[in-house]
Amino acid sequence: MGKEAAGRFLFCFLAVSYFLAMLLSGGADRFLSGQYTITAILRIGVPDDEGTGIAGKVAELRPVREARYRTPEDAWKEFLEAYPGLESLRGARKNPLPGYVEIRLRPERMSEEGIADVRSALEPVSQVEKILSGGDVMPSLLRMKRWANALLWSGFALVCAVFLVILAMQEKTRAARLVPDVSFLVDRGVPGDRIAARRTAGAFVAGGIVALVATLVSCAALFLVSGFFHFVRAVVGPAQDLLDARHLLPVCLFLLFATIFQGLASLAGWRAAFPGEK
Amino acid sequence: MIEAFRVGAVSRGETLWEGLDLAAGDGEMWIVTGPPSCGKTLLLHILRGERRPDSGDVHVAGESLYRGSPEHNRRFRASSGVVPESLPAGQGRAVVDLFRLSAFAAGGVSTEEIKGRISELLPLVGLSGAEDVEVSSLSVSERARIALVVELFRSPRYLFLDRLLENAGKEWADRLGGLLRALAREDRTILMMERQLPDIWQAAKVPSPLSSGPFFLYRLGSPGPERKSEAEGPPLPAGPLSETTGGVE
Repeated sequence: MGKEAAGRFLFCFLAVSYFLAMLLSGGADRFLSGQYTITAILRIGVPDDEGTGIAGKVAELRPVREARYRTPEDAWKEFLEAYPGLESLRGARKNPLPGYVEIRLRPERMSEEGIADVRSALEPVSQVEKILSGGDVMPSLLRMKRWANALLWSGFALVCAVFLVILAMQEKTRAARLVPDVSFLVDRGVPGDRIAARRTAGAFVAGGIVALVATLVSCAALFLVSGFFHFVRAVVGPAQDLLDARHLLPVCLFLLFATIFQGLASLAGWRAAFPGEK
Repeated sequence: MIEAFRVGAVSRGETLWEGLDLAAGDGEMWIVTGPPSCGKTLLLHILRGERRPDSGDVHVAGESLYRGSPEHNRRFRASSGVVPESLPAGQGRAVVDLFRLSAFAAGGVSTEEIKGRISELLPLVGLSGAEDVEVSSLSVSERARIALVVELFRSPRYLFLDRLLENAGKEWADRLGGLLRALAREDRTILMMERQLPDIWQAAKVPSPLSSGPFFLYRLGSPGPERKSEAEGPPLPAGPLSETTGGVE
């Protein structure tokens, strides 16, 4: 019984951890959005306050997570870091590079539509000279991202399916072990449906507790791990995001479904062990 | 009242018996004896409403157990207790777990009440303080006696006992007889199936169609005013437990 409960908790923990990681990261979305930037190159001579203003406006766009204005001086420093020894290009103290706005998208908006939204907002701006957004490579990159996400969600579905199969097997074994007790009760006039209903109600409560504890432990582990490892923050995302309302609802739904499935598994196990019991 | 009318049973294509009649009223105690494999347990199942007879019918309180409503059958089973012939070893189970199961069947019994009633019932069968003992470690006799008090926990109106005396052992025939007779005095109907009547029990063989089959039918105790005088008479030895059954209720 203890081993069964521990096994159930472990599987629940695994499933909920997978789910939380997928929820935060959106699969490959967060990693890709961390690597990908849209660059809006401004015309030479655009004042810094105008560049900062454009970056502020861009940051308000829905798909945008972050928009930072880089002055021509910042651009020159970055250039020299990348290509040292080319200081001579700056003749008569005049900076040949323009300022630019570096734009990062939200992980969930990492799509053709998101990129198009940003481009269409920047194109009419007269101070913008050029928009660099990946060009022809992007559609195939985004297609690969969708495939990667589908694969990752399939993995989650597989974990859930294995969890359900194990649950059903556990419940069938449990119900079979109860045959003498159930016969005792049925022989004494207790309706089989009443016993099944009581077991199912018990399984709902126990399943809910297991799912809740597994979720809390998983959240705590995610907070801990993402606090220690930058890699986890970059790929999965900051655990604090779980407190957002948009993440709380799916987590609650997951808890509800995990509870319902455990209750239903109990009922299915009962029906398998006592097919004719009413 | 349990009434069997012209009951017959077929097993493995052979007629075991047919045309059996029996009427067991409130407060009556009946013993059916017969050789091994003659169908005593089958008869008990039929009288309990668990197995439809191949012919005839069984009525309780005027309604058929098999042709009446399923709810009537269920109510009858809820109001009856049964000690089976073979008692499961109950691996990993303590005696108290059996009482808890019985409490679940009874419904609405508090934990305190369970404890209280266990402490009243176990001494009746000489097993005081055995509530935490594992069932698998008990002897056949102890398990039979435990099975009896687990049934008495629910205060059933009808008691069906399959080879209880044989399982409990000769040394317990006297005490159990006193206990059962006291229960019969409290208007419970008791039906026992045994291979033979214990030597120390004296009972009149009742001429009945049942006795014309493989069985012999004995009646111990009778309802109404005569019951008391019979109880004080010779058929059953006055058991030391007959006074203690107040705790059973």
